[in-house]
Amino acid sequence: MDQRTAINLFRLLVLVASSAPAFWLGWEWFFGDLGAVPGEAVVHFTGKTGLILLLATIAISPAFRFTGWVGFMAARRQIGLWAFFWLVAHMLAWMGLDQYWDWPWIRREMVELPYIRYGVAALLLLLPLAVTSFHRVRKAMGWTAWHWLHRLIYVAAALGVTHLWILTRADYLLPTLFAVVLAALVLFRIVEAAIHRQ
Amino acid sequence: MKRYRYPSIPESEVTPPELFESRRRVLRGGLLLGAAAVAPGLLWPRNVTAWQGELQRQLDAGLPTVDLAGGEAPTSFRDITTYNNFYELGTGKRDPEIYAHQIVTDPWSLTIDGEVDKAGTFALEDILKHQDLEERIYRLRCVEAWSKVVPWTGFPLAELLKRHEPTSRARYVVFESIHDPDRLRGQRRSVLDWPYREVLRIDEAMHPLTLMAVGLYGESLPNQSGAPIRLVVPWKYGFKSIKSVVRITLVEERPLSSWEERNPEEYGFYANVNPEVDHPRWSQARERRIGESGRRETLMFNGYAEEVAHLYSDLDLQRHY
Repeated sequence: MDQRTAINLFRLLVLVASSAPAFWLGWEWFFGDLGAVPGEAVVHFTGKTGLILLLATIAISPAFRFTGWVGFMAARRQIGLWAFFWLVAHMLAWMGLDQYWDWPWIRREMVELPYIRYGVAALLLLLPLAVTSFHRVRKAMGWTAWHWLHRLIYVAAALGVTHLWILTRADYLLPTLFAVVLAALVLFRIVEAAIHRQ
Repeated sequence: MKRYRYPSIPESEVTPPELFESRRRVLRGGLLLGAAAVAPGLLWPRNVTAWQGELQRQLDAGLPTVDLAGGEAPTSFRDITTYNNFYELGTGKRDPEIYAHQIVTDPWSLTIDGEVDKAGTFALEDILKHQDLEERIYRLRCVEAWSKVVPWTGFPLAELLKRHEPTSRARYVVFESIHDPDRLRGQRRSVLDWPYREVLRIDEAMHPLTLMAVGLYGESLPNQSGAPIRLVVPWKYGFKSIKSVVRITLVEERPLSSWEERNPEEYGFYANVNPEVDHPRWSQARERRIGESGRRETLMFNGYAEEVAHLYSDLDLQRHY
């Protein structure tokens, strides 16, 4: 298999893996299999999927360093945009299925509840990253500026994990898992940067 | 040539000493518990379905229904039994239903001890024999801001306590849930300090609204709903209504309840439903009624203020949440 085919196949795999959860969710919703409170199930599912994809986006660069395969880098923007899609869906699901578009309450919860604030902040940080993901914008910005801006993904991911951590009641297994993965990825980047400087 | 590397166990794989010790404790406790469970059976062999028989006899006779939910339609049986918090069976909302079979309810006995004149361990059928059951429809409000309307079958806790004659030193009532980490998957993780424990003031326990429930929708309680016998305190957040009770102890000094011990800032001893006192992480002003879309306003004392507000007339509810 030549390089180009391999990359295309990988991109197809990313497409399928990132969109399949949406089909699954739609199926479960349609057949009433999301439990007694389907709205809550949708909010939780979209949030977890988004956070996993966000961490996957961050993991792309280490995966490339370890394997040297350019296919990873070719699919990074795609995965990042899918993460953004799922997290926007998460926010909309919260607004519609959890808060029932009750705007005064949505505003109040955004102002008063720390975990909502962190979640909103993470999305606001991801917005410029999504907007500057186009080739033309990236070129116009210049590589250095673009690179620096896109480091915001680490801040957004940290806010996302914090958001999940705060709203957890007693079982910290999942947020701990996310936190450990994020910490490992950040550590990798720091070590890598240090090595490069030498 | 590759250098030989000593195989080493990563730190994460090493069993922490507390866990190692706790396993031993559990083993020891399990043996003791096993012996305690088997011994009475050897001495007094009895029909294992005895309590179901006694319960069924009363259910078949037809029970009076008291509606204490303002005429609201009960939440569907399906919703009541598939959306639960019962961490002994897992922390997901559907875990209690999926793993309900892990609770063994046959046979079941209840220990009543501490500051009572008639202490002892009693087979559930013997307890039920002395109680007249009734159906009561109550609102149930969870601390997580969701609610249900539930048709319980049960009897007032006060009747049970009176029969065991509390002494003058009985100021609090401590309840303990089933502890069976060999079977209950949730108890193999220390999400809470098992077994689950709840505490009521004696006047709260003796209040006519405080119920010991053994049935739901006119049948015996499904395991995920706290079979075979559980507490129901309708004006408090749901976590106070401890499930699958094995022990009731009357005491003079108040021990911490499980959630209070876990996080005293968030789960107070009283845990009265109060729309004006928010949980530190979310609002308690509104609730989601399961099976309904939209939100409802949460009622003071979950709508039972008339019956119970006087119990707390001298308390600052902002402080004693």
